[in-house]
Amino acid sequence: MSRTILDVTDLRKDYSQRRGLISMLTGQERVIPAVDGVSFYLRENETVGLVGESGCGKTTIGRTVLRLTDPSSGRIVFDGRDITRLSRAELRPLRREMQMIFQDLDAGLNPKMRVQAILREALTVYERPSDAEIARRIRELLEQVNLKDSKLANFPAELSGGEKRRVGIARVLAVRPRLIVADEPTSALDVSIQAQVVNLLRDLQKHLGLAYLFISHDLPVVELVSQKVAVMYLGRIVEMGLAESIAHQPRHPYTRILWSSLADKRSTEVREPRAWGVFDFEQPVSGCRFAPRCPLYQDKGRPAVCTDPASEPPLRDAGKGHVVACHFG
Amino acid sequence: MRRYVQSPGSVGEFSQLPLWQRAATLDLVYVGYGLLVVALVLASYLLGALGWLPHDPQAMNVGLINAAPFTPGHLLGTDFLGRDLQARLILGIQAYFLPGLLAVTISVVAGSVLGILAGYRGGWFDTIITYFDNLLDSFPRLVLILLVIASFKPDIYYVMVVVGITGMPVIANLIAGKIAFLRQTNFIEAAHALGLPAHTVILKHILWFNCRALLVIQATLGMAEAILVETSLSYLGFGVQEPTPSWGNMVQAGANYFLQGNFWPSTAPALAILATILGFQLLGDGLNNLLEGKRGR
Amino acid sequence: MDAPLLAVENLRTYFYSRAKRAFIRSVDGVSLHVAPGETLGIVGESGSGKSVTALSAAGLVSAAPGVIGGRIELRSHRARRNLLDGLERYVRVKERDGRIMAVEKDDRGWRRRAEALMEGVRGKEIAMIFQNPRSALNPYSTIGTQLVETIRLHTSVKGGREAKERAIHWLERVRIDSPRLRFDNFPFGMSGGMCQRAMIAMALSAEPSLLIADEPTTGLDVTIQSRIVDLLAQLKTETGITTLLISHDISVIQRLSDRIAVMYGGTVVETGRAAEVLAPQAQVRHPYTAALLASVPSAEAIRRKSYLQAIEGEVLDTIEVPRGCRFYARCNRVTEAVRQNCAGLEPPLGEVAPGHKVRCWLYPAARNA
Repeated sequence: MSRTILDVTDLRKDYSQRRGLISMLTGQERVIPAVDGVSFYLRENETVGLVGESGCGKTTIGRTVLRLTDPSSGRIVFDGRDITRLSRAELRPLRREMQMIFQDLDAGLNPKMRVQAILREALTVYERPSDAEIARRIRELLEQVNLKDSKLANFPAELSGGEKRRVGIARVLAVRPRLIVADEPTSALDVSIQAQVVNLLRDLQKHLGLAYLFISHDLPVVELVSQKVAVMYLGRIVEMGLAESIAHQPRHPYTRILWSSLADKRSTEVREPRAWGVFDFEQPVSGCRFAPRCPLYQDKGRPAVCTDPASEPPLRDAGKGHVVACHFG
Repeated sequence: MRRYVQSPGSVGEFSQLPLWQRAATLDLVYVGYGLLVVALVLASYLLGALGWLPHDPQAMNVGLINAAPFTPGHLLGTDFLGRDLQARLILGIQAYFLPGLLAVTISVVAGSVLGILAGYRGGWFDTIITYFDNLLDSFPRLVLILLVIASFKPDIYYVMVVVGITGMPVIANLIAGKIAFLRQTNFIEAAHALGLPAHTVILKHILWFNCRALLVIQATLGMAEAILVETSLSYLGFGVQEPTPSWGNMVQAGANYFLQGNFWPSTAPALAILATILGFQLLGDGLNNLLEGKRGR
Repeated sequence: MDAPLLAVENLRTYFYSRAKRAFIRSVDGVSLHVAPGETLGIVGESGSGKSVTALSAAGLVSAAPGVIGGRIELRSHRARRNLLDGLERYVRVKERDGRIMAVEKDDRGWRRRAEALMEGVRGKEIAMIFQNPRSALNPYSTIGTQLVETIRLHTSVKGGREAKERAIHWLERVRIDSPRLRFDNFPFGMSGGMCQRAMIAMALSAEPSLLIADEPTTGLDVTIQSRIVDLLAQLKTETGITTLLISHDISVIQRLSDRIAVMYGGTVVETGRAAEVLAPQAQVRHPYTAALLASVPSAEAIRRKSYLQAIEGEVLDTIEVPRGCRFYARCNRVTEAVRQNCAGLEPPLGEVAPGHKVRCWLYPAARNA
């Protein structure tokens, strides 16, 4: 059984909404919990998918877990080491083991540097290889990501979307990471190129034993590549379990809606849509945060337990490693 | 009627072409002229510093006052005291060259530091530096300079320190803006994530790659500013004093004779001022278009 | 067959890259038609030319040289005209080896003529909704104001109060909650899904004959996407409006279209009834369509955790257009029998079944077309 490489417990990240000098002085800042108590773990050679819609906090989790931004509270344990409160200096050597693929295709690609220079720089961050070694490793990286040698002389602006994504991946691979947080790795790409990148990521996992935290809103792809999937809503994980269970036997009403929206997009029958409220992240919620939009809540005649301010539904075990945060799930 | 023609053969990559092929002609002309001016100024400065002048700039020749250019022995003529204009013009560069460099260095270096602090650290730094910049910008530069002259001595170097300081906000803003722009593309964050140390990110990626063009341009424009300030002050009598030549005080001194029909002693230094400042301005402008303009238009 | 409401014939829209001194052949000879009451879905990836085709039809192409050839015929009960009428007078094209190498265009003259032709058409006959709803709405005025403006401009309703009632009626029809309150909302106060509904209301309130929807669901969350798709389906049934739908999302196209056109590299490579073209076990199909459908993980692929069938190579950038079939470089179904044709000659659009056309040398009908 492979080791746990990442263990996150009760992670919280708050963003304070600055309202100007006066309110800052009087201490009346509004705090918005982008991530509100999230726990999960990731094993070597495994992919955990993180899905949710915009504003659910999945990107924030990705960045916080890598300490690109500091958590407000909670614990992050990477390969046995507690990295929650480490200083930047202490973190540096660890950074090479945990890397991120950014949603933005241009992230990390200095527009004034040619691909060769970009890769060279990545190779010399933690090591001091000789020129010959650098040349060898660059060739190896290009092969791993399926890029032609001729691309080395190009600037990022001359690359297509898929090529940029590949250079980004090569750059990250250069430091030999063990964990990669992939934040929407396919969203800005054409459908036919997305398939290439997904295949590439799976290949790399197989050959290099990487662990992925796969953040995406593309549900079929997440289901395909992940062993476990966590569904997020407004900063909390509302359901987590094996990919097949989440997709085919979802228990939380939100998960059901997510997956059925997918099916609905494709089906040709016309249905009468449900009335949905608009949710405002900033409004403090009492009780279950999904209640305002929950069809189950409506169907059951608005039971009081759902809006009970004392408690939010906790993540309960529903068997076989499947957890759900719903009073009725 | 507009004509669009596809070049035959396969399509090449724009960025692989050499700079002179990609540039608009006018920009090349600007830069060419500007570089010429810089070369002349540099050469003349050295000549003046080493004392290799065609004539003694203080030697008066009462018999040959207000001579026209191309008078034998005096290529650019003489002024109202018979002093060789060419020598005086060359020496006049001393008045602004080093002081100008001082001003430029101060504004570029200090401006960069402020800009990086504001852009990189953001938050409080950004707010404070912005307020400070606005404050600095609101002061009329001439008033500050006159204040300095009145409080201390009328030393051109003191003046240039003021010019340097008042030039900081522009550069700080430009750099902070550039960093804000780069921030938007996750660029800096990704560099951090890879593990690049902060000093590498700042010096190499931000300053060298993304800001160097900006800084060179600001340096040339700053130099133009400095020359303008020095010559204006000297003209007004606050800068370099007679008999030491400065282009500004040469114009002033020759002014009396202007209305008498002896245009040249005043016009020569005035033209020198014009041509030089124009050279630096055009250099800055041309470089701006070449290096910072939209690539591959 | 009824006369089509919109008939595009051999449309060519080129852009010029001064940097590369070459043409970007965005739309390179595209013909399609939309029958009254029908929804035609155009599917393709970036660079396929699908959006530019729509923009050309709406007369919204402003970059140079722009539209340089073809016919766009609009035939509604209120208007009947070729929107590119007289274009030949303003454009001169020089070809070499069957490929356009130089274009001379009187931009200003054509612009004036085009505006005259589009008078009364844009916004009124042809309404358009765009990809990013918030950026397509005026951020400085309420959606109510914008709706009323559209109604007074493009319909016979001129009175202020009447227009407001009509506007609220349309907001109800797009199932926006609390229409009377939303009337006074600014776009920044509304979510993406609501802005999109508002934009749809604006487009339809002009009572157009043709609705062009350019990536209406892209950029929205999955759950919101399905609502918008639901809405469009309902409006389609209720109003019977003719629609030109553009998207790269095959599921959206599948749900809403009667007929489909698949575009690649600036040309239409397959067109036919949606059910036929997208049928899972279709025998006759363009290799690109097949590959595109296979790129999306199917339930089977997911269950078996198999690798996706990715198409090799990069999407065609329409600057370097190859000699033969545009898809040849990436095609995995080339046989020896047709290889020479595929490499050297662009296949014509041939009919393989009634109403189903494919641009591929593999299909005998294509050779006889």
